Amino acid sequence: MIEIKFFGRGGQGAVIASQILAKVFFVMGKYPQCFSVFGGERRGAPVASFLRVDDKKILLKCEITAPDEMIYLAPDLVDEKEIQSVLKPGGLILINNALTDNDFRALRKFRLALVDALAIAEEMGMGATINTAILGAYAKASKAVPMDLLEQVIKETVPAKVSANVAAAKRAYELTELFY
Amino acid sequence: MKQLLQGNYAVAEAVRLARVQVVAAYPITPQTPIYEKLSDMELEGKLTGVMMRTESEHSAMAACIAASLTGVRTFTATASQGLALMHEMLHFASGNRVPIVMCNVNRVVAVPWAFGSDQSDSLSQRDTGWMQFYCEDAQEALDTVIQAYKIAEQSLFPVIVAIDGFFTSHFMEPIEIPDQATVDAFLPPFSIPTRFNIEDPAFISNVVSPEQYMAYRERSFADMEKTRPIIREANREYQEIVGRGYDAVQAVDTEGAEIVLVTSGAMTSTARVAIESLRAKGYKAGLLKIKAFRPFPTEEVQEALKNVPKVAVLDRNISLGKEGIFCHELKSALYPLERRPTVTGYIAGICGADVSPEMIEDMVIEALKQDKPTDLPVWVRRETWLQKR
Repeated sequence: MIEIKFFGRGGQGAVIASQILAKVFFVMGKYPQCFSVFGGERRGAPVASFLRVDDKKILLKCEITAPDEMIYLAPDLVDEKEIQSVLKPGGLILINNALTDNDFRALRKFRLALVDALAIAEEMGMGATINTAILGAYAKASKAVPMDLLEQVIKETVPAKVSANVAAAKRAYELTELFY
Repeated sequence: MKQLLQGNYAVAEAVRLARVQVVAAYPITPQTPIYEKLSDMELEGKLTGVMMRTESEHSAMAACIAASLTGVRTFTATASQGLALMHEMLHFASGNRVPIVMCNVNRVVAVPWAFGSDQSDSLSQRDTGWMQFYCEDAQEALDTVIQAYKIAEQSLFPVIVAIDGFFTSHFMEPIEIPDQATVDAFLPPFSIPTRFNIEDPAFISNVVSPEQYMAYRERSFADMEKTRPIIREANREYQEIVGRGYDAVQAVDTEGAEIVLVTSGAMTSTARVAIESLRAKGYKAGLLKIKAFRPFPTEEVQEALKNVPKVAVLDRNISLGKEGIFCHELKSALYPLERRPTVTGYIAGICGADVSPEMIEDMVIEALKQDKPTDLPVWVRRETWLQKR
């Protein structure tokens, strides 16, 4: 089983990102379980979303306290101390490093991946909705999901700007930097 | 067909497949997605019946009662404060013996104001004369709503299908949705005697004498006892036709166990992981899931626990001045046994507070050390649990 945590701010699309990824794993024949922190949804507020994936039915109905993978749509939410204490050894960290000078050197003992998802989303005319860009970056960093399947699920799922969303995922796949 | 769905949508699919004719409801967190999904289905022409968007839950239940009396299949969904507001009408529903099916998404009752899962909302409707079934996950919720129609219509009692807010209502997981022909083969069209003719309005719920009232209650009590084989048979048939089933209780590894953990609802699922881990460590631990709360499965509970020396009960609810409600009911069911197990009650997961398998394992190990039954429950919160470790 892999356990993935998404961190973002309301409006960036962290919840939808986790649901699209869940659907990709579902289409691949896996058993995904996807949920978000519940209550006070509003633009700009911190949002966390969770995804477990396994080959068999997942019985756990509790929080993810020691994730295998952490995905930050909002770089200002990165707490390096917390990551070092909860992330499993060899775990994956994917950060949207837009608008930050931090090179996250302290996190390079894990598998670190960086992408300026905001620049990509803006280039595609999607404003601050960076969820499909971050998913393209995830496909590159994790090698867990094939890009063509991700594109297919994005096409089926996003309500508007379908080609821009697909293009953002593809561009992010190309531009994501891996530090491992 | 398998779909990736949140539990609320799985419940809406069950309502569609049951060919419900009237849905009367009022939105409330965390139930609202059921209401929204059924509205979408109505708009898309996928719903057999119509939605009534009432101004309150009290009115929603009144509408379901009246509709059911005119001979149609009805559904409502609610949670927490909404169920509390319905309370008066719940008695009218069971007293009038209307087979309404309701999904209650368990949520704390104010105050303080919050949204997390807690069974106190539906358990405090214990004495309204409704059957109550607690589901472990979204698949069971879908299957139970469909079964509930058959049980309700054969017994003429209304049914609450309870699911955990968030853990069941909002978790997205793969759900197997039966096709319409399969559900039709299990659930025949609604056909109970029409007791209300809208062309010729009449009055029900008459004033009666004390003797008449008591005789009616006595008969209702006897009728509720007769629902036990109906519930069993509905599940057996469903299992035969659809391929899945859930008994009033489920005993896992209770034979020869030195301790059995008793659970209900979504925490059962996490508890399965805890029990498996304990067994791998050499503990002879078993699990008893209680699905039916009313009618209470007294015989099944006695059968499962009669040779077990120790029992731990996990409750996501609390009755101030007593203990966890499942623990209380379980102790009462065990009283007639010659050798009663030592029972320890645990309160955990109130308001959806996190309960991990490790926390559950520690509860079971602690209960194993108890030699005397205790009156008061043990409260387990992550914060205090971590300190103790």
